[in-house]
Amino acid sequence: MTAVIHTERLVKRFGHVTALDGLDLEVSEGQTHGFLGPNGAGKSTTIRILLGMLRADGGGAALFGSDPWSDAAELHRRLAYVPGDVALWPGLSGGETIDVLGRLRGGIDKRKRDELLERFDLDPRKKGRSYSKGNRQKVALVAAFASDVDLLLLDEPTSGLDPLMAAVFNEVVREVAAEGKTVLLSSHVMSEVEALCDKVSIIRKGVVVESGTLADMRHLSRSEVRATLKNPVRGLGDHEGVHNLKTDGLDVRFHVDGTALDDVLTQLAVVGITSLTCEPPSLEEMFLRYYGDELAAKGVENGDGD
Amino acid sequence: MATTAAAPSALREGRLGTLAGTGKLLRFQLRRARVYLLGWFAGLVGFNWLVAAGFPELYPTGAERAEFATTIDTPAMRSMTGPGEYLDVYASSIGAMFAHQMVLWVGAVVAVMFILLITRLTRADEETSRLEVIRSEPIGRRADLAAAILLAIVAAVALGLLMALSVRGMEGAGLEGSLLYGLNYTAIGIVFAAVTAAAAQLGSYASTANGMGFGVLGFAVLTSALGNAQENATVWFSPIGWAQVTFVFTPEHRWWPLLFAAAVAAVLFWWAFALVARRDFGQGLMPARAGRPEAKPGLHSISGLTFRLTRGLTWAAVVTMALLGAAYGSVIGSAADMLSGLSEAQQEIINQGGADYAENFASTISKIDAFFATIFGLLVIGRARKEETGGRGELLAAAPIRRSGWPGSYLPAALFTSGLATIVGGIFLALTGAASMNDGSYFGKILLASMLYLPAVWVMVALAYATLAWLPRAGWLRWLPWVYVFIVGYYGRVLELPDGAVNLSPFEHVSAYPAQDVEVLPVIVLFAIAAAFTALGYTGVRRRDLQFS
Repeated sequence: MTAVIHTERLVKRFGHVTALDGLDLEVSEGQTHGFLGPNGAGKSTTIRILLGMLRADGGGAALFGSDPWSDAAELHRRLAYVPGDVALWPGLSGGETIDVLGRLRGGIDKRKRDELLERFDLDPRKKGRSYSKGNRQKVALVAAFASDVDLLLLDEPTSGLDPLMAAVFNEVVREVAAEGKTVLLSSHVMSEVEALCDKVSIIRKGVVVESGTLADMRHLSRSEVRATLKNPVRGLGDHEGVHNLKTDGLDVRFHVDGTALDDVLTQLAVVGITSLTCEPPSLEEMFLRYYGDELAAKGVENGDGD
Repeated sequence: MATTAAAPSALREGRLGTLAGTGKLLRFQLRRARVYLLGWFAGLVGFNWLVAAGFPELYPTGAERAEFATTIDTPAMRSMTGPGEYLDVYASSIGAMFAHQMVLWVGAVVAVMFILLITRLTRADEETSRLEVIRSEPIGRRADLAAAILLAIVAAVALGLLMALSVRGMEGAGLEGSLLYGLNYTAIGIVFAAVTAAAAQLGSYASTANGMGFGVLGFAVLTSALGNAQENATVWFSPIGWAQVTFVFTPEHRWWPLLFAAAVAAVLFWWAFALVARRDFGQGLMPARAGRPEAKPGLHSISGLTFRLTRGLTWAAVVTMALLGAAYGSVIGSAADMLSGLSEAQQEIINQGGADYAENFASTISKIDAFFATIFGLLVIGRARKEETGGRGELLAAAPIRRSGWPGSYLPAALFTSGLATIVGGIFLALTGAASMNDGSYFGKILLASMLYLPAVWVMVALAYATLAWLPRAGWLRWLPWVYVFIVGYYGRVLELPDGAVNLSPFEHVSAYPAQDVEVLPVIVLFAIAAAFTALGYTGVRRRDLQFS
């Protein structure tokens, strides 16, 4: 598969603040890629470099194999973008804004536009100044989804949507993905990313700290095991893949590294198992792991510390 | 209501209910508005003080003032100054002459200050969620309006006292006269605060409220001009007229027109208070007009969008320049009489080295027209910056448009608006000028005089665009050159600036036609400079980061 987005050791500084500090990101064609990180981690900066709005200070970025800065206008024909904080022209109605943005991209599919307006339950006659945050976001979403493009860059697109509209959004993203379009979805709504994305990159302080499919990431991280045994087990705590072991009579609870799962379960089977549950970590738990030290510094326990 | 009946005591609105918390809000609003207020105070009072200090030197003797008074006692000049009662006492009272020339225009600026003050404290805050947070506090439904009005009244009184103080140094300005002069502005400020307070309840947005406020201001200037030109009662329709008919610094001076203004303001305030409790938060009593569900077919390019977004400014430019051109043009005919009444210092400003007073005057006001036309071009360039930092540019920057398209499209839009402003100003100047001279041949002459300034106007606009491209954060830098060329053009000779300083201004290289012959070389050079700044600007916008919120 070819890479639609490819960045290598991308660096961006604003004055003496380093927003991106050697960021590597790879999104291949047809993928729905989750881009996770808290506010200020560098998600929007990355996207704006990919859009040619900011110029990188170091490293390289390629979009469809071209330079996003020098070939910005040509590349933008193939993509649509929904900013995290949508601002509209106070005097233009939502419908006018959608049409103008679509026509600038070379035309708009009227049938699709009207269908999306319907699904997102958006009144196109209202003026830009009177829309709420969620409705402004819907205007940008309709404009983006109604355009015929290969790549969608969505920067926290559901932050102002209610749960019903977030569900509509999920549905539309799935349809777009089924058409073979590539989606970069920056978000901090874990359930949304879990539901939609094939691959996830976790960004922290301007660096991608983890990237892979959810399955891969699960495999590499710890599952929680709860078991009731027939006989007491010994030496479990000494196993290097076992963490946070809690024993209460014959009930045991512990976290186990994905690589050690095989080994540990064999050990349990030897003593006999009455019941067993093994839960893979949620994306949220995996995400929090990367931010464990920050949470600890703020006095919050992430429940998974060593 | 059932709940009220069940729990009457705690939540019932008491006598002060809808006003609860006004005092606290007033202090809070004062804290928020202090920079705004200090800025306006400094500008208005400083300007007033400067003019009051310099005025007597222009016309040192009573005889000079009397002569000047007779030359400007025409309907056209009265419409731009004030009632004839002041003219009668020019000889004996410098103050009367000063007030006559100042109240209409300074009063209009004071009105702008109070219109904007009230909308920013009321409806503008409602459009963001700021006021929503405040309303969720234990604060009455009318408290924010009451605090805004109280703040406006306090500010108006403070402004009036400062204005009074700033004219105290002028010869013959007694305590009572100075106070009446200052309180004229207090009255204008309070009336426009009241008008806007009512408009803020009617309009569906802050911008609608502003629009209604400015509409009333336009009506006030127009009725004052009409009433004073024809010396009839039309002036009584004008809130600014009420300040003019106090006849301050004349022996006939009187206070009661200010009481009349106060009464009108009180009625409007009462009305606003009645309305505010009847409307929903964030909504005006007049329903918002729905927009079109789809864009017109013509709106399909970035330049189309830019022209659409700057349409309002372009219309403002056309109307302003038409009025300005017509007003200036109508006095060209009487220029010869008028100029002989001017002091040497003032003649120096107007003299363009021609033999004919009217021709000198025509080329001078063509230049002044061009200064105003430039302002509209700079305002359009300012819009580009607002689009960028306001986040809307982010949607456009993600569209398949080169930087030369966005924000680049704002340069052609600014050139268009400023060019149209120059042409419209020139046409109206030429029309009324030729009419006032009773000589049709002047139409072509004056129109050409105006058009000669077009390259200079475009040099300024292109320079502003280049600063937007290279130093986007420095908004003041886009205006500084304008202030410079205005001072050079208006006061350069009075201030005896060195040649080098004068020659920096493109406006000083334009041929002073019809007083002098047309030279082609400056036209070509100025166009070339404008083109160079344009190229510089387009290079700049391609190179820099865009800055969003």
